[in-house]
Amino acid sequence: MSEELVAFRDVWKVYSVGPEGVPALRGVNLTIRRGEYVAIMGRSGSGKSTLLNLLGCLDRPTKGQYHLGGEDVSGMNDNQLSDVRGTHIGFVFQSFNLIPALTVVENIEIPLFYQGVPRHDRHPRSRELARLVGLGDRMEHRPAELSGGQRQRVAIARALANDPLVLLADEPTGNLDSHTTEDILDLFDELHARGRTLIMVTHEDSVAGRAQRIVMLRDGQVESENHLLAKGPAE
Amino acid sequence: MKASHKVMDLVRLGLHSILVHKGRSVLTSLGIIFGVFSVIAMLSINEGAALESERALRELGSDNILIRSVEPPNQESKATAEGRGASVYGVTLRDVARLRDNIPGVMRCVSVHKTQKYAHYLGRNLSVTVLGTEPTYAQAARTDVVAGRFLTASDVLLSKPYCVITRSLARRLFGYLDPLGDTFRLAGEPFVVVGVLSQLPSSLSGQDIDVDNCVIIPISTDRTRFGEYEVMWGQGGSRMEKVDVHQVILQMEGEKQVLDGAAIARSLLGRYHDQPDFEVTVPLELLEQRQKQRRLWNIMFLAIASVSLLVGGIGIMNIMLASVTERTREIGIRRALGAKRRDIIAQFLVEAVSLTTAGGLIGIATGMLIPMGIERALSVPAVISIQTLFWPFLMAVSVGLASGVYPAFRAARLDPIEALRHE
Ligand SMILES: Nc1ncnc2c1ncn2[C@@H]1O[C@H](COP(=O)(O)OP(=O)(O)OP(=O)(O)O)[C@@H](O)[C@H]1O
Ligand SMILES: [Mg+2]
Repeated sequence: MSEELVAFRDVWKVYSVGPEGVPALRGVNLTIRRGEYVAIMGRSGSGKSTLLNLLGCLDRPTKGQYHLGGEDVSGMNDNQLSDVRGTHIGFVFQSFNLIPALTVVENIEIPLFYQGVPRHDRHPRSRELARLVGLGDRMEHRPAELSGGQRQRVAIARALANDPLVLLADEPTGNLDSHTTEDILDLFDELHARGRTLIMVTHEDSVAGRAQRIVMLRDGQVESENHLLAKGPAE
Repeated sequence: MKASHKVMDLVRLGLHSILVHKGRSVLTSLGIIFGVFSVIAMLSINEGAALESERALRELGSDNILIRSVEPPNQESKATAEGRGASVYGVTLRDVARLRDNIPGVMRCVSVHKTQKYAHYLGRNLSVTVLGTEPTYAQAARTDVVAGRFLTASDVLLSKPYCVITRSLARRLFGYLDPLGDTFRLAGEPFVVVGVLSQLPSSLSGQDIDVDNCVIIPISTDRTRFGEYEVMWGQGGSRMEKVDVHQVILQMEGEKQVLDGAAIARSLLGRYHDQPDFEVTVPLELLEQRQKQRRLWNIMFLAIASVSLLVGGIGIMNIMLASVTERTREIGIRRALGAKRRDIIAQFLVEAVSLTTAGGLIGIATGMLIPMGIERALSVPAVISIQTLFWPFLMAVSVGLASGVYPAFRAARLDPIEALRHE
């Protein structure tokens, strides 16, 4: 068995709204191993995005422990969390979240920038990533000049820039048509095949079907975990 | 090592977003540009003007006390009351003797009698200023003899009909002939040119003297040939005027004696004159006064500058706040991708400082053009010193820092998740 990469132990997240607060997560236990490809599903408001934000160290749990790569990150301060995000996490968003003023290459190298990678090292790396996601001929374009699928490819390349432990995607195909969705999912499959750990939130069964395991959330709790046996863990 | 190139990268990042919004950046820093521009223009012109007037005052001699006869204000009515009598005023010969004998530390005491006359030479006819004075005038007035010699004690003693003329008068009266030893007529009286002066210091001679057309003759000759009275032609006819001495230059042994000497001169003359028909000026006093004034002006200019830079700074802060709001999502993205709070702070601070620094540089460049243009057009010297450039620039940079701090901290305080959700 490969090592545990993500370990949630009785994780709670209560948003302090109103007198009692809104419990978005209520005692989640979850383990994800290196190289796994996991889909998180559930109704709207079931806590998927909240869970992913915690996984991505954008937020801290109200209660419970979160170990990432063997390290307890639940008690870290803002600075340390920034470092964890910068070194271990790759984000892919539904709305792409590219910086409009920057070119493809410049967008891809943002994580490297904050890790203090010198300019002359950043450039070749981000160009290589642009080529990897099939945008070798669009490197100096700005996001506005790209299609939705191309933008999401840039976002994926950017998420890979710091060689993260885990790639987190919140409805990465939510804004794409079915054909482009296939392309992106193929890219995910390829990354998974190369050994990446992927965690993806989605609404669609067909999208979730590409993962190895589906985690169902309901009212802030894990309802079920289904291993899709047809697809074993990557060799 | 990691930090150093990150700083460079942050600077590049700040400059990048300024260049992306070129038009807005220029408009935003306009306040700073104008602030720096006006300070530099004003400071350099002020410095130049001050230096110019200080130079003029120094020309008067900081060891001199200057006493001048002035026509008292009620002279006109008095003259009419006495009918067609001559108006008599000013410093008398006895005054000069009193001044010379009673003020300690007087090195030279030079009297000047000044009249306006016509000079004739070979059909040429020029109006000239005639100064009847003593040989020591040359030292007290610090003029240079370029040809021949100045008047001597024996010229005065023997009331010689000798004169020294200014170079420009020599050219106008004699053309290309050598004036030395030649004779011309001054109000009908023949005078021999014994010397030529380079120039008279304009400030010493007073405003009513044509410094280019001056004839200097022995004071004794002046008195014997032309008499004590001068006929003045004015509106509605002529009148007679008698002024013994138009100007007395007291050259003191040192600057230390100047102020005390001036005080004594004032009280001494005041005792014998019941109307204000004399004026005592002390170049040293004026010099110190001007310097004080200049410092005051500089402070005032800097105050005006501070106000305009303050207003400029508020403009910068405003646009930076707008920029933070506009780029909330970008901030969220950067935070999600590993930017720390301090990285965000640095980004916006660098941006604000770059804006004002660029504005400051533009202000300096344009501000320097103004004094240079004025210098060329009006031939007023303008002084651009390192200080006149340094202070406004430093102010621009600090305004950038000051006005960038609050927006930067606001940007850094944003919650990454909230920022990412921002539309
Ligand atoms: N910042 C917040 N403040 C207060 N309540 C919040 C906040 N964020 C989320 N919630 C609440 O937490 C619950 C879970 O929200 P979350 O966004 O995780 O749902 P989701 O599963 O991602 O839904 P969707 O599929 O619509 O994206 C919801 O009830 C939501 O109202
Ligand atoms: Mg969601």
